[in-house]
Amino acid sequence: MLAVEGINAGYGTSEVLSGVSLIVKSGTVVALIGANGAGKTTTMRAISGSLRPSKGKVILDGREIQGLIASRIAHLGLAHSPEGRKVFGPLSVEDNLLLGAYTHLPRFFGFLAKAQPDLDRVYTLFPRLKERARQLAGTLSGGEQQMLAIGRALMARPKVILLDEPSMGLAPVIVQEVFHTIRRLKAEGITLLLVEQFAKSALEVADYAYVMERGRIAVEGTPEALSRNERVLAAYLG
Amino acid sequence: MTLPIFAQMAVSGAFMGLVYALIAYGFQLTYATSKSINFGQGELVMVSAFFSLTLLNLGVPYWAMIPCGLVFGAAMGLVIERTAVRLALEQKSEGWILLSIIGGLFLFSTAENIWGRDDHPFPTPMSTDPIHVLGVDVTRNEIAVAVGVFAIMGLIELFKRRTLLGKAFEAVSADRDAAELMGISATRTVMLSYGLSGAVAAVAGILVSPITTVGPTMASALILKAFSVAVVAGLDSGFGVVVIGMMLGILESLSSFQLGSGWREAPGLVLLILALALRPTGVFGKTAIRKV
Ligand SMILES: Nc1ncnc2c1ncn2[C@@H]1O[C@H](COP(=O)(O)OP(=O)(O)OP(=O)(O)O)[C@@H](O)[C@H]1O
Ligand SMILES: [Mg+2]
Repeated sequence: MLAVEGINAGYGTSEVLSGVSLIVKSGTVVALIGANGAGKTTTMRAISGSLRPSKGKVILDGREIQGLIASRIAHLGLAHSPEGRKVFGPLSVEDNLLLGAYTHLPRFFGFLAKAQPDLDRVYTLFPRLKERARQLAGTLSGGEQQMLAIGRALMARPKVILLDEPSMGLAPVIVQEVFHTIRRLKAEGITLLLVEQFAKSALEVADYAYVMERGRIAVEGTPEALSRNERVLAAYLG
Repeated sequence: MTLPIFAQMAVSGAFMGLVYALIAYGFQLTYATSKSINFGQGELVMVSAFFSLTLLNLGVPYWAMIPCGLVFGAAMGLVIERTAVRLALEQKSEGWILLSIIGGLFLFSTAENIWGRDDHPFPTPMSTDPIHVLGVDVTRNEIAVAVGVFAIMGLIELFKRRTLLGKAFEAVSADRDAAELMGISATRTVMLSYGLSGAVAAVAGILVSPITTVGPTMASALILKAFSVAVVAGLDSGFGVVVIGMMLGILESLSSFQLGSGWREAPGLVLLILALALRPTGVFGKTAIRKV
């Protein structure tokens, strides 16, 4: 579904990624773990078009998308929930969700009716968001903002979701809630690339995993294989 | 001086202030999406007024001139965006400042070459008899200014709140990169804001022309006031520019009446200095205007 083939990418003159390759098969959850600064966020940005890879290919559903602008890639079925959530603070919760579905809603009128099934689905998943539908997103708690960020990505009915550190800055209970949601979504069959600090929890939900070190993929394998790998054990699961 | 005259001056000043507010609102529209403003906005007001006057002289009826003028203004806004703003923004440079000033100068000399340097009266279909309200005379042109300003600002605000495209506009203003990830093209949204801003400039031109006449320099004073209003009110509050605009209009009308017309510009400058010293983010604003 999503394949990354040997991409290089960076900021200005400094290359951060060198030759990163990974595959996310349809209906699977793939975890991308690694130390701070390893290049996980940069990888996601290079996939979604926030950053242009200088080398290599990104293939979404059989189509090369590297070099396209981010808004174009979103229309092709990729939803990227970025690091730090990045909800639209001055807009209401519901408006944030509606904008998540921007790619397939009418621009002027009737968008609310058309988005209703998707809204209901997100509200079922996160009843808290329904209670706060009219509240400004910027005034939500961190956990609620994370739910909104995930919900907003789901609204697009994407082929693939990139989720960058959904547990960042959240209390342990809320982190459990987030992983619970991810498991539910997995059961529904979504295709997900997940970046996580909580390597252990990430490996528990994932079907396959990649470990990044200094801009490269250092190790890859099934979660079972990785949890037997001494190096991975020592560095990330200790 | 008697109270009625005082009130009369205040009311006329307030109507003029609405025009400042409308032009300042045009600044806010583009600032929201791109953190850039068109320093040639005054010339946009002026060429739109000339264009509309030409249509009237060609026999186009008044009601048909207004939408044509708006479309012309929007098109000019898009031209400014394409020629002066986009490349500079793509390179994250502040080049748009100089380029939009140059765009304005270009429009200015073009206008002089096409229409000459003289001021032309701008016809109005309304009678010139003033209406008496509570002992104050209000001209029909002034009422048209108020109706026009509130109509266009109201429509744009409705668009932003009630349509998905409008919400996308707000999303780009809030977080351009995140908006892109939703499939919203930031480039197109910036174009939209320049188009709207140009249309707003055209409305300002059409509304103010019957009062000020049309000439190449008609907007140079207007634009300075509008700029003061935008700085004082902040670049993100539509409500703020209306309040500050009317306040400035009233103050300058009263001071030129009381102290002599040479003092007309004084309140604007004092307000501007006070605002920059005390509240650089604007009285109603959250984001600081970058020093230019
Ligand atoms: N905007 C930027 N400009 C310049 N360098 C950057 C930028 N963003 C990240 N970097 C650098 O790129 C490298 C990889 O950063 P990246 O954010 O991809 O790491 P990460 O694996 O997501 O880390 P974390 O777990 O802390 O989120 C780091 O060395 C970082 O300093
Ligand atoms: Mg990161």
